[in-house]
Amino acid sequence: MEGLFFNVNGGYIEGIVRGYRNNLLNGQHYANLTQCENIDGQFLLQTCELHASNTSEIVDVKLQLAPAYGDFLATLPPNPSTSALAAKTTDKLVSEFRYLQAQATGSLAKFMEYLTYGYMIDNVALLITGTLHERDTRELLERCHPLGWFETMPVLCVATNIEELYNSVLVETPLAPYFKGSLSHQDLDELNIEIVRNTLYKNYLEDFHHFVNTNPDFKGTPTQEIMSEILEFEADRRAINITLNSFGTELSKQDRRKLYPEFGKLYPEGSLMLSRADDVESVALAVSGVAEYKAFFDAVGLNQGGTEGLGNMGGGSSADGKSLEDLFYQREMELSKIVFTRQFTSAVVYAWVKLREQEIRNITWIAECIAQHQKERIGNYISVF
Amino acid sequence: MGLAYPTGAATVSLAVVGLYLLFHGEGETFNVGDFLETVSPYTWATIGIAMCIGLSVVGAACVVSRGILLTGSSIIGGGVKAPRVQTKNLISIIFCEVVAIYGVIMAIIFSSKINFVEGEAIYSGSNFYTGYAVFWGGITVGFCNLICGVSVGINGSGAALADAADPSLFVKILVVEIFSSVLGLFGLIIGLLVAGKANDFE
Amino acid sequence: MSGAVGREAVFPTRQSLGLMKSKLKGAETGHSLLKRKSEALTKRFREITRRIDEAKRKMGRMMQIAAFSLAEVTYAVGGDIGYQVQESAKQARFRVQAKQDNVSGVLLPQFESVIATGSNDFGLTGLGKGGQQVQRCRETYSRAVETLVELASLQTAFVMLDEVIKVVNRRVNAIEHIIIPRTENTIKYINTELDELDREEFYRLKKVSNKKQRDSAAQDAEMLAKRQAEDNKENEPAKAVIDQPADILGQEDEDVIF
Repeated sequence: MEGLFFNVNGGYIEGIVRGYRNNLLNGQHYANLTQCENIDGQFLLQTCELHASNTSEIVDVKLQLAPAYGDFLATLPPNPSTSALAAKTTDKLVSEFRYLQAQATGSLAKFMEYLTYGYMIDNVALLITGTLHERDTRELLERCHPLGWFETMPVLCVATNIEELYNSVLVETPLAPYFKGSLSHQDLDELNIEIVRNTLYKNYLEDFHHFVNTNPDFKGTPTQEIMSEILEFEADRRAINITLNSFGTELSKQDRRKLYPEFGKLYPEGSLMLSRADDVESVALAVSGVAEYKAFFDAVGLNQGGTEGLGNMGGGSSADGKSLEDLFYQREMELSKIVFTRQFTSAVVYAWVKLREQEIRNITWIAECIAQHQKERIGNYISVF
Repeated sequence: MGLAYPTGAATVSLAVVGLYLLFHGEGETFNVGDFLETVSPYTWATIGIAMCIGLSVVGAACVVSRGILLTGSSIIGGGVKAPRVQTKNLISIIFCEVVAIYGVIMAIIFSSKINFVEGEAIYSGSNFYTGYAVFWGGITVGFCNLICGVSVGINGSGAALADAADPSLFVKILVVEIFSSVLGLFGLIIGLLVAGKANDFE
Repeated sequence: MSGAVGREAVFPTRQSLGLMKSKLKGAETGHSLLKRKSEALTKRFREITRRIDEAKRKMGRMMQIAAFSLAEVTYAVGGDIGYQVQESAKQARFRVQAKQDNVSGVLLPQFESVIATGSNDFGLTGLGKGGQQVQRCRETYSRAVETLVELASLQTAFVMLDEVIKVVNRRVNAIEHIIIPRTENTIKYINTELDELDREEFYRLKKVSNKKQRDSAAQDAEMLAKRQAEDNKENEPAKAVIDQPADILGQEDEDVIF
């Protein structure tokens, strides 16, 4: 049935998102990018064609990115820093997302709003941090992620103490339901900001999951099917990551358990086991009920082998060894890629945003590798196309 | 889902009216044979024609004239990043327009059966046959074309997006689209056969 | 050359000669001591230079690795965590302690890095994702800062040693090329002056003794003549001749200085 009516509201947006998705960099582009010698080369910008780079001598990242990011990179000064590069690519994502949002109506608009809540949580966490340390929160507005911008955000800056902030957050932001019931203003003061953030994120994920499963427009459609899978994966990933990252910190097991989203493939048995886990082995045991996570742990376990275990797995210990985090990203990207095999679903927007974020990370990574002459690790990006 | 309340209301009101009549000793009002005999063949024939053209046009409109539905919106969306799909995928629109044309043709054929007949002469067996034939033929053609329009629309929407992603897919999807547009032709043929045996009103 | 050095303005006396001699001896001892100190410092200096070189190379590597691990964090977290980390750090975890090290009497400051255990202010950063990378990055940067502290300590030592070595070398050179030649010159001068005095004195003595001899010879002759005259009377002139010279020496004693 979704085929009959989805396009009434979402056909145009879906078409555009698919167009954006086709503009994502593919393996060939990445391969070219990794051959670059420097980040600059504006003078070549004008002359480049989409795939001309295969034949001509490949010099720099900017040139390589020109087909996909030309307009946005053109304003970069010569020899841009990697952060400037990342900022510009993010700008592009944001402007495209804004355009889609402006076009979206009905439940799709709501869906896209849900997408931005994740970023809003980060922004609010930032503002809370700023207020706690009595900084001028206006300066913080610049640091906020533009996707997580909401109209009433400047209002939050008026707050000078944490209680005011809490009350204005509750009144002014779409995040109010996530605060309500699980966090009080004393909590903001006392709890570590990361715990606040993760509590919010947990509530957000649960709400999002509830939304795609109960909204009449999404119920029984591919959107429900796909988004449930992706969100469950996201929830499991967060649960596992939180567990792994909390080893050796003051986060108690009870508190940790409160941060696990209450759905997903691991919920409830796996979550319970995770909440009791003390080391990597018990985490591996907890997730062994789900074949794919078990496979991740097995793959990582083989690569690591040492006594350091997963605790020291950042970015892969060697050039080819993928870390657990990498595997999760890889899996997320594959899920996102699969979304595009389904038509008439809002999930493509979600998948596109995720793919795009990964692409920005990849570009930053490659640019960073080039800037720091660390060519041996340059292949650590994740490309699914 | 959205139709649950209207359907329920209609069922309840029908049941109430039916039970009212039944309990007031007027149960014999529900006489299907009498109903069929007293309804004029003109009614059947004109409803058939209306259904034929109406459903066909709705089927086609799913794709074409409402624009935002199915193919149109997908073509426009896909066309933002790959402008070439716009002209190429007009073929999907044409497929759907064909569906409406089937409906128009059948409506014209059906309407040629209708003549003015004086007085009670209309209630003859031959005229009843023509009335029912046109009615059910129209329904057949109409629903066939409606479904055909929807399937061509969904296919066309997919075709536009697939073409935007990879031009080599266009022809392949076009073949599938042709098959779905053939569905309407089946309805057309059956409609012709059903109406062919019926005589004009006399 | 040594002539240019000149000499000290002293009176050429035996006392000042002794003074000069002891001064020369002192200078030579000081010279050898300073030389040794300078050598010890130079040795240390070279070692520090070598270690600075090593430390700088190490720092280059460490900073590179550290910067790269930051890139990893950016990759994993997908955003800027700088502000958050900055805000959640409440007290310094990495502290520097200064110590003093004695190298041949030179006090060199030494910095030692101390990592306060237990305080882990942003241990929860990146809890949702990228936490491992954040922690790893922190460790890498701690190591990089350790290298920096080591380098800073070496650099300070380098600068101070450089200064001290310059001073010591200047002193060594001053002793070697100024003090010692000048003292030697002075000693030489005193010696020559003293010799001159000696010769003068000797000559004077000779003159005196010649005169005395002449006088005594004349006396003798006179006496002899007288004696002969007397001998002719008493006949014992020989005894008188023998007594006479000893008597002269005994008388002259008062005039001789030494």
